[in-house]
Amino acid sequence: MSGIGESDQIARAAGGDRAAQAALVNRNMPIVYRVAYRMLQDRAEAEDVTQETFLRAWKQLPDWQPRAKFSTWACTVALNLCRDRSRKKKPVLMDELPERVDTALRPEEALASQQGIEGIAEKIAALPERQREALTLCALEGMSNIEAAAAMDVGVRALESLLARARRSLRASLRAQLEGDER
Amino acid sequence: MTVNGMTEDRVLELIEAYGAEPMSWPEDERDAARALLDAHPDAFVDALAVARALDEAMALEDLPEPSAQLSEAILAAAPTPPPARASLIRGLSSLLFPQGVRWPAGAALASLLMGLVGGYAYASTGIGYDQADSAYYAAFGLDVGADWGDLE
Repeated sequence: MSGIGESDQIARAAGGDRAAQAALVNRNMPIVYRVAYRMLQDRAEAEDVTQETFLRAWKQLPDWQPRAKFSTWACTVALNLCRDRSRKKKPVLMDELPERVDTALRPEEALASQQGIEGIAEKIAALPERQREALTLCALEGMSNIEAAAAMDVGVRALESLLARARRSLRASLRAQLEGDER
Repeated sequence: MTVNGMTEDRVLELIEAYGAEPMSWPEDERDAARALLDAHPDAFVDALAVARALDEAMALEDLPEPSAQLSEAILAAAPTPPPARASLIRGLSSLLFPQGVRWPAGAALASLLMGLVGGYAYASTGIGYDQADSAYYAAFGLDVGADWGDLE
């Protein structure tokens, strides 16, 4: 299937071609699952969201318009489903919460911090929702800034701001851990 | 400090937002940012090192794998191929003839008998080719009794 373009693959999948459907799932399901897991921090819920995302995809495929990559579309749907679930579970964690002061991880501390890092996933999970979404799509899933901004329904500048704040918060969190380990 | 319209501040912003790896930077700014980076490496050493440390820390993220059944469950709900034409005809035929269509011997025998009876009836009426031709020409107002020899 590697030589077949995504539009062609989607058309075949919509027509019931099992190989095309399997290829679409194999290529995109892991991304959708990881995005959902990072947002919900629960494997079963992340799997539910992944399944629901693909159920919507199967319904959408016959009318598919190649305006965006399938993965971008799927991540958009998954993020919306995750937001819905998060809102039902707990109060929204506002992005406007004060950032932790970034005392910047110094280069000489980098190796030590990597060796001592515990639960980077938990630190990412502790970020405010929108910052986590931005970091997940761009830094962790390798989406371009334009794709990630589209998936989050924000402008590119807003995305950059979220990314920068997310990275500053993470650095501060790692720094705090490092200092705690030293004591 | 500017190269190809790219400023030092903008490169620092890119590093701050997207990390140390130029491949992660926006495509439309990447080349200019790299050019500035190459022209003045000392200006960005610290920012790059800090960003790289975080990039590497994030690469250590360990997430649980989804269950093996997830793909199967997703594929089980995928669209099925539309029914083929042959099976459509088969479906229609079973609707019209719930007992099944029995072509074979009976139909072949009936065809044979109809052919025999029809042939015999046609022969016994005595209507031959000439009479049939006359009726055809009369229908178009031609004189069937005319002596065709006169025309010659």
